[in-house]
Amino acid sequence: MAEEKELYLGYATDKAVTPFMADWLRNLEQEKLMKSKCTSCGTEYLPPRQHCQKCLSICELTEFTEREAKLYSYVIVDFGPESLSDKAPYVVAIGEFPSGLRLTAHITNLMSPPEVGMPLKLAFEKIDDKKISYKWLV
Amino acid sequence: MGRNVAVVAGGHSKFGKRYDATMRELCAEAYKPIYDEGITQDRIDASVLSYAASQFSGQGAGSALIADYLGIQDKPHMRVESACTTGTASLRAAWGMVAAGLYDVMLVLGVEQMNRVSSATATEYMSQAGDMRWEYPFGISFPAFYALMASRYMADYGIPHEVLSRISVKSHHYGAQNPKAHLPKEVSLEEADNAVPICRPLNLYDCSLITDGAAAVVIAAEERVKEFTDRPMWIRGIGAGASEMMIQDRKSLTSIPGAKRAGKAAYEMAGIGPDDIDMAQVHDCFSIAELIAYEDLGFAEPGKGREIVENKENYHEGRIPVNCDGGLKSKGHPLGATGISMTYEILKQMRGEAEQPSRQIKDVKYGLAHNVGQSGQFVNVFIFERGF
Ligand SMILES: [Zn+2]
Repeated sequence: MAEEKELYLGYATDKAVTPFMADWLRNLEQEKLMKSKCTSCGTEYLPPRQHCQKCLSICELTEFTEREAKLYSYVIVDFGPESLSDKAPYVVAIGEFPSGLRLTAHITNLMSPPEVGMPLKLAFEKIDDKKISYKWLV
Repeated sequence: MGRNVAVVAGGHSKFGKRYDATMRELCAEAYKPIYDEGITQDRIDASVLSYAASQFSGQGAGSALIADYLGIQDKPHMRVESACTTGTASLRAAWGMVAAGLYDVMLVLGVEQMNRVSSATATEYMSQAGDMRWEYPFGISFPAFYALMASRYMADYGIPHEVLSRISVKSHHYGAQNPKAHLPKEVSLEEADNAVPICRPLNLYDCSLITDGAAAVVIAAEERVKEFTDRPMWIRGIGAGASEMMIQDRKSLTSIPGAKRAGKAAYEMAGIGPDDIDMAQVHDCFSIAELIAYEDLGFAEPGKGREIVENKENYHEGRIPVNCDGGLKSKGHPLGATGISMTYEILKQMRGEAEQPSRQIKDVKYGLAHNVGQSGQFVNVFIFERGF
């Protein structure tokens, strides 16, 4: 069997990938954003957890299909950590979906300053051969 | 609650970019004034010697190094770590050991050496205190977490950035009068409001400093206090709180839930309320953090913190003097030292020993220290009472 391609999330890289995360990343590469659902109590998590925060049971990945969100808060990073200093300035936003679940990602196509409450749309991004991500579009 | 415990002495290094020193020398500077007061190594039973981040120095087993350098290598010691609350977490741990009767006299010291790496590298290390899997990949630096709070606070309550700048102006006004401060200079409102952006809406003057420094206190059990001082400061209230790891998981960004819980617990234990506090040292790692602290600690209603700022109630002669030593903004923020530096300053103010009358707060009976770690994951609130 051919070796699985290594995949990582985002711009700066956390290289500690587990089998659960590798599975999640392979889905992300197919533009499927997966949340996780506790196999025991049914609680849902985005971003996903392998273990339920409430009962510590194992969670399984299920597809998250919401795409429209509202900007909950934002920051324009002018001076970033060393690993992202070449990319600054960049905008990080927390978006809230109608279900109440939230996600944190960059907004990549802003032409004017971001505003709390503005609509955001979730999209996918291939950063390079190994790095993939989700992102916000306005 | 065990035995009563008091702070009996304090020491403080010069804060700044200390290229003339590393962790060990900074610790010696903080302990020396305590030693000079007569609290020599043989009178200390045990110690808590802490720093927040070992990446900065690369030194492992640091409390052993510090203990050895200070000449207490044969006494029990430990390091406590909880990001920027490392200092007060150390004090909380030591308080517990003394209150329980394990030791009578303990040295509690906090230190951080941060300027041996570039500010980009320091920012990198601090961003690794975000969730490595879900936040770090997006480059959310330490100021970025607080900028996320600021954006939401400013939108919800409709406050202009100038309110935040007024807090920085106050910090620098007092830092300029503190010989231990890292950046002891006044700034104008115009300068503070128009500074270079770091993580918008926060600019350079909204951000605390990357500082080298150490601070130390000695605590003693009630029956031993008189051997050390006739001017003790009793530890009356200790509240600790915690909040969600990821900032997106907080129900609100206009308040730090762990800080509210910590404040409430500390007031309850001390049997007093916010109106009884004569001075506060709050964790102004960013200007917005000080504004939120006023509200989390009950000095102002939610959204009304700006009134304290605009009416200058936070100045040394105001209703609730806050950070009249320059705070983390002007005095500096050596992560692990900060909580102990707050404690040191309250002891100094209670004893009427501020270097300048223009920053001496009158008649301090109760002082409060509010120490926040990372973006609120850890919070310790201490209430101290003058014992003389
Ligand atoms: Zn469960």
